[in-house]
Amino acid sequence: MDAKLKETILNPIFKGNPITVLVLGICSSLAVTVTLKGALVMALSVIVVCGISSLILSLLRKTIPGRVRIIVQLVVVAMMVILVDQILKSFEATYAIDKQLSVYIGLIITNCIVMGRIEAFALGNKPWPSFLDGIANGAGYGLILIIVAFFRELLGSGTLFGFDILNRFGYVPNNLVILPPFALILLGCIVWVQRSIQKDLQEK
Amino acid sequence: MNTNNNVYTVVYTTIIVVVVAAILAFVSQSLKAKQDANEKAETISQMLTSAGYGTKAELDRLGNSAKLDKYAEEIEEAFVINLNGERVSELEGITVYGPKDLKRQNYNIKGGANKTGEPEIPVFIFKNGRTVVPIYGAGLWGPIWGYISFNSDLSTIGGAYFDHESETAGLGAKIKDDPSFQAEFVGEKADFSSANVFDIVKGGSPKDGEGVSLIDNKIDAITGATMTSQGLDAAIDTWLAAYAKYFLGEKPACDKPCCGGEDKDEPCDGNCENHKEVED
Repeated sequence: MDAKLKETILNPIFKGNPITVLVLGICSSLAVTVTLKGALVMALSVIVVCGISSLILSLLRKTIPGRVRIIVQLVVVAMMVILVDQILKSFEATYAIDKQLSVYIGLIITNCIVMGRIEAFALGNKPWPSFLDGIANGAGYGLILIIVAFFRELLGSGTLFGFDILNRFGYVPNNLVILPPFALILLGCIVWVQRSIQKDLQEK
Repeated sequence: MNTNNNVYTVVYTTIIVVVVAAILAFVSQSLKAKQDANEKAETISQMLTSAGYGTKAELDRLGNSAKLDKYAEEIEEAFVINLNGERVSELEGITVYGPKDLKRQNYNIKGGANKTGEPEIPVFIFKNGRTVVPIYGAGLWGPIWGYISFNSDLSTIGGAYFDHESETAGLGAKIKDDPSFQAEFVGEKADFSSANVFDIVKGGSPKDGEGVSLIDNKIDAITGATMTSQGLDAAIDTWLAAYAKYFLGEKPACDKPCCGGEDKDEPCDGNCENHKEVED
């Protein structure tokens, strides 16, 4: 694999993480991180939507009329979001989680990461790198989601994936952790950690 | 190729939209059966929750087929009534009223342009003596619905479960997510003789010095979700009023001798709870 492709994949995971560096997709990362299971399903959904939308639009990039390109992007992303939602609703295992995530699956379309990556990358690059860029950005988003959800479920409910971890030791679940503001505090801490490792992100 | 001329733009967008619509229609049709099965199992678990067969989380751990089996095992009678409280037909097999069926009946109850026929509303009687009836109405962003169960005296609420399509997470969505809100209904009494069958208001019922609520059909609304609370209040009033004749007509006769507290000659009003057994 050449260096440029490797950079496309690795950059969004850490150095150019869409949530902590580009600060995109904050809203949904506050809403769906109460349980690890919800965060995982949301992360996978965003990876699929981001990857396949980027691939389709990169394939179409030379034919899309410039004046309506945003509309064409919207139509394709909306289609992917509805497909993912329909598929989640169809399986017994994912139906409950789809109900729990309710509007947030549908709101993936408003997630700035998807349209942002299409506009910035997929419309100017070949299909394969675009696909990888979409997947990697989805994964970067998902990684933060899962880190936040790990702490919120562990401290807020005393469980992980619904299995009791802390409660058996007499832990009293902290209700503040369940509320959205705590996700923002956690995100702040993650940004803090990242900026102390990556000095070039710090403003002079 | 010039991708910027008008004809190209119009033709291009038309093709894209038609292709996307075709894909979505195909997928929606092919997955419909599975989605309906999931929805039915969900409706059943909501009704069982309301009827007191476990919490929603406990019931959700059962698979779809286990939920259907549990319903088949626990249901005593399920039938459809009209607004006069008369039985119209029996519900054969496992037939439940999910949000889509309730929506149609909601139009029929309210009348107006969307009315498709006379209202035919379901009653589910479970083996534990609870009677479950649905409610349906408009929340802030979309439909809200739910299932309320009554104890065998047909006036005390035994349990309630509500669901919604798109109420605000953390505010209106509490009608579904906050067990303490649903628990408020338990022990309240619906007043079927008035148009205002049940109230969800700020502050709830006035309380006496010991914190015992003075009015039986009033509970506290959800803070920050005024519109959803009002919508739920209206939905409950509309639907329970539609059931009023059935519930008032079906009041079980008291099997205990009436002695009505101080006034021993007080006539039996059919409400067994007000009557103490005559001491020998």
